[in-house]
Amino acid sequence: MLGDWPPYRIFWSSAKFAFKALFSWLRPEMWLMQLLTLPLFQMAFFVYLSRFVNPGAAGVAYIAVGNALQVASFSSIFAVCNITSEEKWQGTLTPLIVTPASRFPLFVGRAMFQILNSMATVVVGFVYASYVFGVDMSGADFVALAVVILVTSLAMTGFGLMLGSVGLYLRTAMIIANIFLFIGLLICGVNFPVTYLPTWIQPLSYAIPMTYGTIAARAAIQGSSLAELAPIVLQEIGAGVVSVVVGYALFLGFEALARRRGAFEEF
Amino acid sequence: MGLLHFFADPQWIIPNIIAPFIFTAVALILFRNVSGSVALYAVLGGGMMGMWGNTLYGSGFALAFDRWNGTIEYVLATPSRLVWIIAGRSASNAVLGLLNALAILGVVTVGYGALLEVANPILFLVALILTLVSLSTLDVVFCSAFLLSRSASVMTNGLEFPIYVASGSMFPIALLPFWSHPLSLSLGPTWGIDAMRYAADSAYKGLHFGYWIDLSVVLVSTIVYLAIGFWLFAVTEKKVRNDATLVEY
Repeated sequence: MLGDWPPYRIFWSSAKFAFKALFSWLRPEMWLMQLLTLPLFQMAFFVYLSRFVNPGAAGVAYIAVGNALQVASFSSIFAVCNITSEEKWQGTLTPLIVTPASRFPLFVGRAMFQILNSMATVVVGFVYASYVFGVDMSGADFVALAVVILVTSLAMTGFGLMLGSVGLYLRTAMIIANIFLFIGLLICGVNFPVTYLPTWIQPLSYAIPMTYGTIAARAAIQGSSLAELAPIVLQEIGAGVVSVVVGYALFLGFEALARRRGAFEEF
Repeated sequence: MGLLHFFADPQWIIPNIIAPFIFTAVALILFRNVSGSVALYAVLGGGMMGMWGNTLYGSGFALAFDRWNGTIEYVLATPSRLVWIIAGRSASNAVLGLLNALAILGVVTVGYGALLEVANPILFLVALILTLVSLSTLDVVFCSAFLLSRSASVMTNGLEFPIYVASGSMFPIALLPFWSHPLSLSLGPTWGIDAMRYAADSAYKGLHFGYWIDLSVVLVSTIVYLAIGFWLFAVTEKKVRNDATLVEY
């Protein structure tokens, strides 16, 4: 039975544990406040900035949709990247690492709730885009948009896990978590096309799944079907898979390094 | 103590000012085809956002870290009033937040080849210092709530962007919905950034009240924030002592 398969059991056990742990210190009303306010004010900042720079409404939809998707990073990048650091701070990383449990389902399970959290945040963002910032969604293909939201949340969580693997060896992952939480605003086509950036930065943009997500989300809002979006969505999935594979390799590498140097609990 | 924390581990400045830095960098790219004193707008807005980001996170997280590390009881048990400890942290963190303005100034100078010119440096410095104090006292008001909650770190996340938007750090508050204007005008930093722009750019129109009115409002609002902060800290300190809920998780 699937339930007896160790990786499956470890995955769900880890996912349930992470969910319970989160709400044991964070009140649901605080979580809800964060879910409702962060997208609103981030979007408001860039939408009003856009209105100031260019009083015509053309750029507003571009920015509102980009930011509605980018807010997924609060969960998929920031929260996921900090998973290893939080274990370190609480003194539970070493006991966790000495278990024979496979690392992959253990840490992917820890990130499971954040995928749902990312999707919820993005949905809130799109509601604001439509009802507060006046983005016309009358021609949108909502099935395609839903798939884009799902794929972006999954792929960005993979990217967050990769960053968290680096955090395994650092004193804290908080620094890189913060950098990558916001750098998407600059390099992932959230507020302006990637082509505005210097050419040497653009490859980095396309290494981050969010870049494909923003392109696909805008196309879905304009009515592109899932079939039309398939190439860009597949590229986003590819970027997410590469992130997970690289992240897992980094995790194993840094684990070996930390074991050799006795640096697991080094702060 | 805030400065000692910074010098002991300077990397912690990055999480506190990364959002203002990236926001300002995005603004610079959006501003790239706009004429006028764009560099000034970006540097001043970035500086104000940096001050707020660093004072909010530095002080909010300091309380959260004290609670996590089990040192908050000792901080509260000292003969010094907690509000002064927090006010000191807030002020030093606001000063450090100016590093964001310097970073943005570097980007503007190197990337855009623009040199920042300030029309009246003395008046600008006065406005900058008063804005810094205003942000610190506003932080003191919010920090009293952090004392009551184990979710101070979450609350800081929720308070960062609203001030960037409501104070018009990077755009005129006239663009915001009319119903939000009283809220914006009740914030000292709104008037502070306006005063800084008046001092920096002699052609600036802004809120139309002029430099000295702006500065007076910053001063009055700072005194009001300080009074509210002192009162709130007295109430919250008494409450956590009476209820024995200071370290409750």
